[in-house]
Amino acid sequence: MESQIELLYEDIPGRSNARLIRFVGDLDATNVQSVLEKLNSLFSEGFTRLVADFRKLRYVNSAGLGILLYFTKTVREKGGSFKIANVCENVYEIIEIIGATSLLEIYDELNEAIAELN
Amino acid sequence: MHQKDLAIEINDVPGSNGALIINFRGELSSLCISRISGTFDTIDYSTIKFVIADMSNVTLVSSAALGEFMGGRKRLVESGGDLVFASLQIDLRSKLNMMGANKIFRFYNDTRSAVNAFRWEYEKHHEHLHLSFPPFLKLVPPIRSLVSRVAKQKGYSNRDSFRIETIIDEVCNNAIEHGLEGANKSIDLKMTINPAQVEFTVTSVSDPEKMQALKAMIKSDEHDLSKLRSDEKRGRGLALIKMLSNELTVDCNESGTSVHVKKLREE
Repeated sequence: MESQIELLYEDIPGRSNARLIRFVGDLDATNVQSVLEKLNSLFSEGFTRLVADFRKLRYVNSAGLGILLYFTKTVREKGGSFKIANVCENVYEIIEIIGATSLLEIYDELNEAIAELN
Repeated sequence: MHQKDLAIEINDVPGSNGALIINFRGELSSLCISRISGTFDTIDYSTIKFVIADMSNVTLVSSAALGEFMGGRKRLVESGGDLVFASLQIDLRSKLNMMGANKIFRFYNDTRSAVNAFRWEYEKHHEHLHLSFPPFLKLVPPIRSLVSRVAKQKGYSNRDSFRIETIIDEVCNNAIEHGLEGANKSIDLKMTINPAQVEFTVTSVSDPEKMQALKAMIKSDEHDLSKLRSDEKRGRGLALIKMLSNELTVDCNESGTSVHVKKLREE
């Protein structure tokens, strides 16, 4: 009965060491650990420039935001980047309340986030 | 078609002074509009706010008869009330839909649902939900989803329902994190919802070893999110609950922890 979340990976044409990750479902206490492991694993494989598409991320709670903040900071410290785009209104409100809008790299559109990879 | 084919009976709604159920029987043809309007004339609109037209034994509603219902509804709406249809037969419901009646009147599957709507809207009747579940994280998603669906069903907006879902999620996760583990331990969730607000009380058995940490967390200025380092994965739940709710009280003692949250309807 864990919340369903899928991370779908795609190449980003013309960008080396980059991956697009589409989050689909709910990110919560039941799956944060596995999501963090997947993100860490991707980074370890050499994909140091990551863009997360949140268009289909329906729900995130404090635990989910906790790992997003943690991963963003870790990636930055290692010289990489983790950008987020297409955040739905409800999820954005939670990010805003937590005070994480300035700590995460959030873009309105996917192409804006990808353009910033340069 | 003769007027004698029509029977009308007015009944009180047990336990409610502001509502009536009018049972119609037969065919509501254009020949009987005076009886329908006469029935609406007998209503004391200073006290009656909600009229349920029980249509379970009605086989026809003419456009003229429908006009009388519209007139009756208008008088109720002017005094802050409503007239609704209940128990329409499928064919008649389809016909009324074609006549556009569904854009004016609310249709209920049965009189019980209509009475519940009256109690909810006019008597601010509270609805209760009580769940007991073992302290397993995997049970929280379906529970928060259920609560959110209840809120939506009760007319709360998507945004309010999402906030309620988040509050329940965070409260239950905290209860599991700081409570005793084991399938024989249970967490109690009591929810009361009315058109204006929703209240929750989540009670769990405290783990003595985690009690001090929990008390410290409640007493501390943990609610101040700015003091959390950005790489800290946890510690934002209680603050989030506080920000999303209108009232939060935590009672923590040796027998258990009880978290009470009140959330006003915003939209």
